[in-house]
Amino acid sequence: MAKMGKTAVNMQGLKNKTLGQRIWDHRILYLFILPLIVWLILFQYQPMYGATLAFKDYKYNLGITGSPWIGFKHFEKFITSPEFWTVIGNTLIISGMKLVLCFPAPVLLALLLNEVRSTKFKRTIQTMSYLPNFVSWVVVVQIMTAIFTPYGGIVNNVRNMMGLESVFIMGSKDTFYPLVVFSDIWKNAGWNSIIYLSALTAINPELYEAAEIDGAGRLKGTWHITLPGIKATIGIMFLFAISSILNAGFDQILLLRQPANTQISEILDTYILNTGLNYGRFEYATAIGLFKSVFSISLMVLANFISKKTIEVSLW
Amino acid sequence: MKRRTKGQKIFTACNGIFLTLFGFVTLYPFWYVLVASFNTGRDFLKGGVYFWPRDFTLQNYEMAFKDERIMPSLFISVSRTLLGTVLGILVTAILAYALSVKSLPGKTGITFLFYFTTLFSGGMIPYYLQLRTLGLTSSFWLYIFPGIYSFFNFILMRTNFSTIPEELRESAQLDGAGDIRILFQIYLPISTAVLATLALLIGVGHWNDWFTGAYYQSVQSLKPASTVLQQLLAEATANQTVKVGQETALGSMTSYTSQSLQMAFVMILTMPIVVVYPFLQKYYVKGMVVGSVKG
Repeated sequence: MAKMGKTAVNMQGLKNKTLGQRIWDHRILYLFILPLIVWLILFQYQPMYGATLAFKDYKYNLGITGSPWIGFKHFEKFITSPEFWTVIGNTLIISGMKLVLCFPAPVLLALLLNEVRSTKFKRTIQTMSYLPNFVSWVVVVQIMTAIFTPYGGIVNNVRNMMGLESVFIMGSKDTFYPLVVFSDIWKNAGWNSIIYLSALTAINPELYEAAEIDGAGRLKGTWHITLPGIKATIGIMFLFAISSILNAGFDQILLLRQPANTQISEILDTYILNTGLNYGRFEYATAIGLFKSVFSISLMVLANFISKKTIEVSLW
Repeated sequence: MKRRTKGQKIFTACNGIFLTLFGFVTLYPFWYVLVASFNTGRDFLKGGVYFWPRDFTLQNYEMAFKDERIMPSLFISVSRTLLGTVLGILVTAILAYALSVKSLPGKTGITFLFYFTTLFSGGMIPYYLQLRTLGLTSSFWLYIFPGIYSFFNFILMRTNFSTIPEELRESAQLDGAGDIRILFQIYLPISTAVLATLALLIGVGHWNDWFTGAYYQSVQSLKPASTVLQQLLAEATANQTVKVGQETALGSMTSYTSQSLQMAFVMILTMPIVVVYPFLQKYYVKGMVVGSVKG
């Protein structure tokens, strides 16, 4: 009780102090924050300033600040270049396929897991399904190579047994999109289902009992109770997916790129990487990066606005 | 719920079969690579090795550990994972503690400075140029400093700290404890779940990061294991037909192949994760859910 009293007095004292005194009182805390502010400037805000490179004619000896301004030239060049539509098209096709095929996978998985009565079985499957999320795309692509290789790989073995010829599955153009979609589901569906499963546990079980009394079956229950119950979660995840539509899975695509599929696998990020780091066209690549960044933010704001109006889900 | 119709029984059975199949499809590729890594490379090329090594050998692992690129890269990976995890947690905890104190003047503004960078960034190229200017592109510290903090981890930690009653901090202060002592002796000991989550999150991130090493690191001897695995993958892709063709034609010069060596390497990179994650999984999921719901 005495302690409580003291705290109350302390709180009272706080209110009467001036701003300067309150700042002085928290000096240790500012000291805690200071190194991270320096970090923020070095690794976030200075590169942000460095993005002005997109409007400059970069001269190595003059640095970013000293190089002369040239306006929107790099942007114009990119937008009128023949690569523009290819790169944007590829990015949107891959993102679109992922949105349609990969996005619903964890929702479906969560719904199916939710129907399992045996906790032990459920937990075992869940634990298994998380594993691919914890390994890197390099490992995943290596595993895929081992499975699909024409030299002793299991898939081509099965093909041979069926009297079919061996094929370079990883190195052909036709298989690129299916590989992207399936490997994405394989790696991420299990892990992404966590968020939906936790939303499902928040649904009041009495709702199902009431529905059952009213004569609603399992499917109707899922449609009228379960899905509306996780609508907000699905909405938020969808917003995130929309706002990262220009990403299309950088690591994955970068590693699955092969000579045979370069035409359809060049996405915005790989293009930036190639022109910037491999060919040293820093200012041009920066302009493309900035274009992507601004476009992504606009998309997120727009998507958020629409979802706020229609399904009352908002990121802010 | 006690009476179950025939339709429900059929659904339950189908669901069980489907999920079992799903589990199999998830795990089998790992098993397949494990089997391949314990089978002689030359024998594996004949095909037909699915569930158990046909021609058992440890040579793939031996050769992998002897490889002049693989062994040093593993040392880099282990170092950056240990150091990066410890420092990452420390930095996150310190920042989250400071910004969880409700009475701190300017708290909202400072938090916004951090938040803003999640919305907008300078992009890959200016970031790379900055790393080069700072001299990090030829240094081990490239793996430690630039990625020492992430906004997501910060939110996870701050959410956790904000559940601790403010009175606890105030009464400790009255007893003469400073902020450093409060953080390390009161806040952190009761935050083990979040600490475990962060350790796994950051640690796995370090262990798996191949991109930094591949595109930002200019010194080959400083490349981590994930990057070296990616290099081997790229080399194998570049001369797929030639190399394997040669290896088959050359006869029994060696019993391992570049493929079987890579399988062993994949397992060396995967094993630590397989061993660690079931133990931390419980905390991990708990921490994730707390972080995502409240953050």
